[in-house]
Amino acid sequence: MKTELNAILPEIAVLVSACVILIADLFVPQAKRHVSFWLTQFALLATIWIVVATAQVAPVRAFSGMVVDDMLSDVLKLFALVAVSLMLFYSRAYLMARGLFRGEMFVLTLFALLGMMVMMSAGSFLTVYLGLELMSLSLYALVAMQRDSSAPSEAAMKYFVLGALASGMLLYGVSMIYGATGSVDLDRVAEATLGGQGNRTLLAFGLVFVVSGIAFKLGVVPYHMWVPDVYHGAPTAVTLLIGTAPKLAAFAFTLRVLAGALKGLEFDWQGMLVVLALLSMVLGNLVAIAQSNIKRMLAYSTIANMGFMLMGFLAADLNGYSAALFYTVAYVLTSLASFGVVLLLSREGFEADLIEDFRGLNRRSPWWAFIMLLVMFSLAGVPPTLGFYAKFAVLEAAVNQGFVWLAVVAVLTSVVGAFYYLRIVKLMYFDDPVDDSPIVARGDARALLSANGIALLVLGILPQYLMGLCTLAVTQSYF
Amino acid sequence: MSLALLLALPFVGSVAAALLPTNARNTAATWTTAVALACVVQFGLMFPEVRDGGVLRQSFHWVPDMGLEFSIRMDGFAWMFAMLISGIGTLVAVYARYYMSPADPVPRFFSLFLAFMGAMQGIVLSGNLIQLVFFWELTSLFSFLLIGYWHHRSDARRGARMALVVTGTGGLCLFAGVLLLGRIVGSYDLDAVLGAREVIHSHPLYPPMLVLVLLGALTKSAQFPFQFWLPRAMAAPTPVSAYLHSATMVKAGVFLLARLWPVLAQSELWFWVVTGAGALSLLLAAYAAMFQNDLKRLLAYSTISHLGLITLLLGLNSELAAVAAVFHIMNHATFKASLFMAAGVIDHETGTRDIRRLDGLYKVMPITGTLALVASAAMAGVPLLNGFLSKEMFFSETVYLSSYPWVELALPLIATLAGIFAVVYALRFSFDIFFGPLSTDLPREPHEPARWMRVPIELLVLACLVVGVAPAWSVGAFLDAAALPVVGGTLPEFSLAVWHGFNAPFAMSLVAMAGGIAGYLLLAPLLESGRLRRVPIMDRFDGRRLFDRSLVALGALSRGGVRVAGTRRLQMQLLWVVVACLVAAFAALQGHGVGWGDRPRVPASLEFVLLWSIGIACAIGAAVQAKFHRLAALMMMAVAGLVVCLTFAWFSAPDLALTQLAVEVVTTVLFLLGLRWLPKRIPEAVRHPTLRDRARRGRDLAIALAAGGGLAALSYAMLTRLAPQSISPFFLSHALPEGGGTNVVNVMLVDFRSLDTLGEITVLGAVALAVYALLRRFRPPRESVEAPRQQRVLPADLKTDLVNPRTAPDTALGYLVVPAVLSRLILPIAGLVAVHLFMRGHNQPGGGFVAGLVVAIALIAQYMVAGTLWVEQRMNPHPVRWIAAGLALAVLTGLGALAWGYPFLTTHTAHVALPLVGEVHVPSAILFDIGVFAAVIGATLLILIALAHQSIRATRKPATAEAGGG
Repeated sequence: MKTELNAILPEIAVLVSACVILIADLFVPQAKRHVSFWLTQFALLATIWIVVATAQVAPVRAFSGMVVDDMLSDVLKLFALVAVSLMLFYSRAYLMARGLFRGEMFVLTLFALLGMMVMMSAGSFLTVYLGLELMSLSLYALVAMQRDSSAPSEAAMKYFVLGALASGMLLYGVSMIYGATGSVDLDRVAEATLGGQGNRTLLAFGLVFVVSGIAFKLGVVPYHMWVPDVYHGAPTAVTLLIGTAPKLAAFAFTLRVLAGALKGLEFDWQGMLVVLALLSMVLGNLVAIAQSNIKRMLAYSTIANMGFMLMGFLAADLNGYSAALFYTVAYVLTSLASFGVVLLLSREGFEADLIEDFRGLNRRSPWWAFIMLLVMFSLAGVPPTLGFYAKFAVLEAAVNQGFVWLAVVAVLTSVVGAFYYLRIVKLMYFDDPVDDSPIVARGDARALLSANGIALLVLGILPQYLMGLCTLAVTQSYF
Repeated sequence: MSLALLLALPFVGSVAAALLPTNARNTAATWTTAVALACVVQFGLMFPEVRDGGVLRQSFHWVPDMGLEFSIRMDGFAWMFAMLISGIGTLVAVYARYYMSPADPVPRFFSLFLAFMGAMQGIVLSGNLIQLVFFWELTSLFSFLLIGYWHHRSDARRGARMALVVTGTGGLCLFAGVLLLGRIVGSYDLDAVLGAREVIHSHPLYPPMLVLVLLGALTKSAQFPFQFWLPRAMAAPTPVSAYLHSATMVKAGVFLLARLWPVLAQSELWFWVVTGAGALSLLLAAYAAMFQNDLKRLLAYSTISHLGLITLLLGLNSELAAVAAVFHIMNHATFKASLFMAAGVIDHETGTRDIRRLDGLYKVMPITGTLALVASAAMAGVPLLNGFLSKEMFFSETVYLSSYPWVELALPLIATLAGIFAVVYALRFSFDIFFGPLSTDLPREPHEPARWMRVPIELLVLACLVVGVAPAWSVGAFLDAAALPVVGGTLPEFSLAVWHGFNAPFAMSLVAMAGGIAGYLLLAPLLESGRLRRVPIMDRFDGRRLFDRSLVALGALSRGGVRVAGTRRLQMQLLWVVVACLVAAFAALQGHGVGWGDRPRVPASLEFVLLWSIGIACAIGAAVQAKFHRLAALMMMAVAGLVVCLTFAWFSAPDLALTQLAVEVVTTVLFLLGLRWLPKRIPEAVRHPTLRDRARRGRDLAIALAAGGGLAALSYAMLTRLAPQSISPFFLSHALPEGGGTNVVNVMLVDFRSLDTLGEITVLGAVALAVYALLRRFRPPRESVEAPRQQRVLPADLKTDLVNPRTAPDTALGYLVVPAVLSRLILPIAGLVAVHLFMRGHNQPGGGFVAGLVVAIALIAQYMVAGTLWVEQRMNPHPVRWIAAGLALAVLTGLGALAWGYPFLTTHTAHVALPLVGEVHVPSAILFDIGVFAAVIGATLLILIALAHQSIRATRKPATAEAGGG
């Protein structure tokens, strides 16, 4: 029992702190809301410590295999915790200016995080689904938090309707896989599919729906529709949350279900992922060019990036999975910084979410222009930033498994992608600023955002540690 | 000093320079010069080790998981480039010290300058190709920052973006090419790649790989058709242009071509692409250079032309040509850097770079003038200067080439023409601005520059002279060392003499000289007059148009993509998702096939078919009316739900039927309450539906039919199979002996899976609270506040016997009296039914959940017919207390088990003998079930009442409405 509880100790910590903050926040007057903020940060820090302290070399399966505590889940949880913590720091001033600096914000964020963590250590389809829904429902609510304007409500509505449809499809697929294999336990399903048991038609159908559900959560074409609307409509702070940590959870979801449970159907899902990756990279990069809103542009960039990540994934070997994990982590770090800069530039009554708002940033503040430059270069995959290695690792994995043409197309679409990332760089460095108002931000947000931006550079120059960590995590769990 | 330290030195220097205070101009310049000079000295000392084909290597672990080593590798060729980079870097640093204004934050400039130098050295010293790409893109980054740091001119914007886009995309192409090359060879290590010539040439991926690598190289070196970015990058400050756009960065492209020459060259594809691009760049850029009026743009075109010459030489697949290319790289860097610096001096001292305005400067700046004259003579290929030597080698290569006849004819012709053009533009650069009457309308009073600003130019021009006069003595050894690795082992026979006798190349040189002078005399007046606004003929071949057009095309494509995949309408978004699933599902069907199972079928009866026909008809009707007439749709949905209830009953699932019925009623009531805020009916669009509308609807119908039919078929296929295993036998056999009840569903709910139930009722309570909390502050829109239509049809002053029950003085008055009375009568009966359902629940259909719903329905019926105020004047249902009591009871029951030492929620069945009734068995689960009952009543009521309260609030005045609450 003790080891079993140990396995879910981080989740317990997040759950308990969410409940404590929910209650404690009721007794905190609005003027002292930062008490809740620091409580949340403390909870995140404590959970980070717990994740590190309970990390074990051998994977632990707890609660009849419902939960798996392995290196992969630990690594993903760490990054998710860091991402959520940074998100709260970056968005503090933004939330305050918009009356969103409330207890619900922290509690819902923690619940969303809990959902992600459940997904990351899921050992059964049920646990996956449980985590997924907890995360999604919290996110729907977060998107709709800003009730006094219509865009967030519309975004939340679309997100919810489409998300519910996708969840339904996922459940449908899971039920078919259960029908074919007689189990919802990921390991048992893996045994059954690898052993060639089960009705292949049923499995194929189940796979189609499960992959559809995964594709929706990743936001890849043709299940990408919600991404731009939600990124655009949600308050930037929430966009930052949606654009970062859930990608890690979605990766865990993809890895555990496709590489774990449905390993025996590798050939089938590879074909599907090729289509998804190809469509996402082409459409995502192409459509991003026409955007004038940076949140919408970054949404399409997410679509393209997730397509790129899938390309590594579909190589379906150690290199491929490690590369995809590395790519996801790199993307999350970059995304954090990108929305962090958008948040930094925003102020009361000004969202700074138009591409035009970046005009002449270099004149206003060379440092933030430089950080944004690093972000854009990382997204475009230009060395010496982290994005370069992410792209390199994925491309190499794909090429080594013989997906040469896919890789070439991927590079060509990256060229298209580089175009719109560099447009922002050009606006920052060569255009005259439209408004000269000084950039004000809290000291902690400045320091952390700077560190985040510099991390893109440092990890780009010394990627071996992160790469080693990713390889280790994947090796321990799947090889 | 080790290679690694040497490579790191500029970067360390860069960080140090960045830390200097912003006004430390002299310190930063001295520091930069010292760092660059240290590199020159250290590289210089390494010459003996690389001179006879020796290679210096050093490697570190980099990304071991991907088999990548950070390896530094220096052979003669890399050595030559390293010397050029650090040597010219030193000179430009000195020059920049005087060029920069003290007002600028100069240390940042020098910091970026050093970082750029480091990146360039990284390219040439890379021992593996990924590392090369890494530094390659790094140069893009730093060059961009260098230009961005210091632009004053608006035309710099366009140019910088163009430069970044072109070289950036080229870099990505190179990256793709290198990935393919690595795949072909099996390693990214340069030594491994250089040793795998046969493998590479015979591999099927050779053509795409070569094209991608060449795209990278040609964009970086501004070769046709990508030449357009370089002249536009000339808005950059002159030290940047001198360093980046002549001596180093643009040379990276030809460096790469030469680096991979031993393994990639010697193929038809290489010949056509490289030679073609080189020849066109050589000729067209030289032609365009003649017509330029800006000193720096002239030099930029001349740079493209000279790089074209080098590219052309490398494309000829001849070892001698490759040697000539290496030699020309050295020479071009020397004279072009000095020319750029001279142009900068002129710009700095006169305030303009317009050739038409500059005249007779020799009188005021004789030393600079002499230097510029010599350097431009070198550029034109005048004998006794270094440019002449490599140009002669080039001419002879074109003459003695063996290829197709037309190529053999065309190449010398192109070479001679380009030579003529070169003489013309060299004359324009030198003769035009230094001789003639002194201009009078210059922005500044021209004079000689500061002493040290001229020294770098003097040194470079001296080098041009020395090499030109005594080539074998001065650079022979260096050239041998540098060319050896390029040709791959053995140097071809060549002689570095100034005089080779009167041969064809020399004749070509003479023609070029004569033609050039004649051309200049013809062209100069035309250009001076300023009537020639653009370059004749060539203007149309400018790649900029191609660039612009491709941007426009990309934009159009992007907008097309937005139309296809960027819809913001939820309907279309749903359509996409559904269609994608349909397609994927049908694709999954391919190759597998699906058939019906062999489970024995229940024979259909007429009644059942009729029942379902009604259900299906109502469901379709609901779908059709959903948009236009919500009330009708809702009613039909209710009928469809009823049919489902009956079906459950039909198949002997009374429990399920009962629950379903209660849920149906509750949801219908919820909908009805919600409908209040929506218009009852949307009139169908006045205009007649067009063909397009019909087509759209037809499409939607087809998709709906396909998706629905598909799902139905799948369900049928599933249902006609026997489930592989099921938990129902377990529950069926254990319900009575272990749960003490014959109603398996209820036993499961309150006993076997009671923890689940506890969770569910908790969620139910939470949901009810959430709905309450959300609606508590809900303000309905003004337009929905007005009275319903039924109440509006009568004019206000009309006497009527119909009294609104809300305003009626007595309960017996007002319309809807009969249903109101009926519903009041139902209340106690419903309570009785609920008790009945509850009590028998453990053994027969019923249970706490259904009983709770029945009570809730009876209560809400009061609200519906009599109005909220009337009901609440007479009773208060206290839904929150119901929830709290229910949850508390359920938890306490569970905890009770703990008190007796059993696990949480264990049921104990007691048998009690009651008088009259006889023996009754009372499982403790009954208490739990009461908890469920109470929680269900509370939650349902809370939600329904919260909705019902909207009707009161809407009728209140806005001012007092704020005080209203549930």
